[in-house]
Amino acid sequence: MLKAASVYVKVVDRFNYFIGRIMMYSLFVMIAVLLWSTLSKQIFVVPAYWTLEMAQFLLVAYYLVGGPYSMQMGSHVRMDLFYGEWSDRKKAWVDCFTVILLIFYLGVMLYGGIDSTSYALEYNERAPSLWRPLMWPVKAVMCFGIFLMLLQAISELIKDVATLRKIEI
Amino acid sequence: MSYELIAILMFSSLMLMLMTGQRVFGAIGAIAAIAALTLWGTGGSDIPFSAAMKVMKWYPMLTLPMFIFMGYILSESRIAEDLYKMFHVWMGPINGGLAIGTIGLMVLISAMNGLSVAGMAIGATVALPELLRRGYDKRMITGVVQAGSSLGILVPPSVVLVLYAMIARQPVGQLWLAGVFPGLMMAGMFIIYIYIRCRIQPELGPPLPMEERNVPRKEKLRLLWAGVLPIAIFASMMFPFLKGWTSLVESSALGALAALTAAILKGRMTKKVFEVSVRQTLAISCMFMWIVLAALGFGAVFDGLGAVKAIDALFTEQLGLNPWVILILMQLSFLIMGTFLDDTAMLVIVAPLYVPLVGELGFDLIWYGVLYTVTTQIAYMTPPFGYNLFLMRSMAPPEITLRDIYASIVPFVLIMVVALATLMVFPQIATWLPDYVYGR
Repeated sequence: MLKAASVYVKVVDRFNYFIGRIMMYSLFVMIAVLLWSTLSKQIFVVPAYWTLEMAQFLLVAYYLVGGPYSMQMGSHVRMDLFYGEWSDRKKAWVDCFTVILLIFYLGVMLYGGIDSTSYALEYNERAPSLWRPLMWPVKAVMCFGIFLMLLQAISELIKDVATLRKIEI
Repeated sequence: MSYELIAILMFSSLMLMLMTGQRVFGAIGAIAAIAALTLWGTGGSDIPFSAAMKVMKWYPMLTLPMFIFMGYILSESRIAEDLYKMFHVWMGPINGGLAIGTIGLMVLISAMNGLSVAGMAIGATVALPELLRRGYDKRMITGVVQAGSSLGILVPPSVVLVLYAMIARQPVGQLWLAGVFPGLMMAGMFIIYIYIRCRIQPELGPPLPMEERNVPRKEKLRLLWAGVLPIAIFASMMFPFLKGWTSLVESSALGALAALTAAILKGRMTKKVFEVSVRQTLAISCMFMWIVLAALGFGAVFDGLGAVKAIDALFTEQLGLNPWVILILMQLSFLIMGTFLDDTAMLVIVAPLYVPLVGELGFDLIWYGVLYTVTTQIAYMTPPFGYNLFLMRSMAPPEITLRDIYASIVPFVLIMVVALATLMVFPQIATWLPDYVYGR
C-alpha cells in the first residue's frame, strides 16, 4: 500500500512535470500562429481563417494540460491570512480535507467533459465557424488535462497524508 | 429554500473555503460544483466543464499569457534597470525625487504589460533596495511600489479591462483608451502626494548627495534614450491595433515578440532569463485561467438562480433608489468584497451581476469599465486578500515587514478613492479620448 502510494506519487509527479515542460513552450506556437494571422492579412489580403480558433485550442491545452505542472510549482494562490501562519503539520491536516473538495470539483468537471466529448464524437460536432473544425479532438485534450490535474491533486493528498504520518515519500 | 438564501449560502461557504487556505480555484470550483449538483442533480454536472468551453470562446483571453510573458521578460532580463537609472539621475536632486521617479517608472512599465506583476517585480527588486539604501522611509516606498504597479491594470494594455470587455461586451480598444488619462491622473496624484509629503517631512525622502548628482550632461542625455525602449514596445503593439491592422490578440503577440527582440538585442536574453520567463508565464497564466474557469462555473450557478434579476429588482423596484445612489452602493460593495474575495474571481463573479444593471440605469459602460478597474486596483492592495500584497510579501527585501506592507498602503488607497470619486464626478476624464479617437 505504502509502496503503491509512493510509486503513484513518483510516476504522476514525473509525468506531469515532463508534459508541463513541453506545454510551457507551446506559448511560442501560440505566438507563431498569431503572427502568421497578422502576416497572412498583409500578404494574401484574405486573412487565414483558422488561426484564431487554432490559437484558442492551443490556449486551452496550455493551461489545462500545463495545469498540473503549475500546481507542482505551487503557483496557485491561496488566501494565506491564516494559512500562512500555520505549522506544516496543521497545513497538511487542513489540506487533507480541502483537497478532497478540489478532487470532487475536478471529478465533476471531468465527468461533464467526457459527456461532452462523447456527444461530439457521436454527432461529429463541428465548431460553427468558417473553418468548421471537429470539436472532439480539442475536447479530448481538455479531458486529458483535467484528468492529469485530478491525478496531481490526488498526489498532493497522498503527500499531505505522508507529512501527517511523518513518512518520506 | 428561497433563491436569495441559496445565494447567500453560496457566498458564505465560499468565504469559509477561502479561509481554509485551499487553492483559490479549488475553493471556488468546489462550491460551484456542489451547488450545481444539489440544485439541479446530474443536469448540473455540466456546469464546470461548460465553463471551460466558455473560457475557450473568450478569445481575448489569449492576450493573458502574452502580456504575462512580456512582463516577465522585462523584469527578468533587467532591461528596466536603465529606465530606473534614467529616473534616478533626472529626479534624484529633489526631495523624494527617487520615489517620484519610481512612479514614473511604473507608468512606463504599465504601458508595456497588462498586469501588476511586472511592475511589482521590478519595483521590489530594482527600486526598493536602492531607495532603502538611500535612507528613504520604508513605509512610504513600499506603498509607492504597490500603488505604482497597480497602474498596470489601468494603463493600456490591461488584462483586467480585457476581462471586463468580455463580460460587458464592450470594445477593448475604447476601454483601453479610456484608461489612459485616469491612469496618468492617478500617477499625477501619487506624485503630488509624495512631493508634498516629502516637503513637509524631508527625512522621508532625502535628495541625492552632491557627489552623486554630478553626472555629466552627456551621460544624462544618453540615459534619456532608455525611455525610448518602452515607447517603442508600446507602439509596436498599440499602433497596428489602433490602426485596425491587427486584432487585439494579434497585437499582444506582436508585443510579446517586441519585448523578446528588445531583450535579445540588448544582449540580456540568457538561458536563465528565458527559462524563468517561460516557466513563470505558464505558472501565472495557469493560476489566472484556473481561477477564471472556476469562477465562471460559480457565476453560471448564480445566473441559473436568477440572482441578476433579484439584485436588479432589489435596487430599482423595492428600494426605489436614484441611479447614482445605486452606482455608489455598487462601488462600495465592490470595494468591500474586493478586500475579502480573490480579485480575479470577484471580477468574473460580480461583474456579470453588476454590469447589466449599470447598463440599464443608463450609464456609459466604457466609463464604468474604468471605475471598475480602479476599484479592482484598490482591491489588489487591500488586506487580507490582494495580489499586490501577496507579491510584495514574496519579493520585498527582508527588512520590510508585513506590518510595514499593510501600513504603507493607507495613504495610497485614500488617494485612489479620491481618484475614483473624481472619475465619477467628471466622466470626461475617461471618455474624452475614446470619444475623440472613435468619434463616438
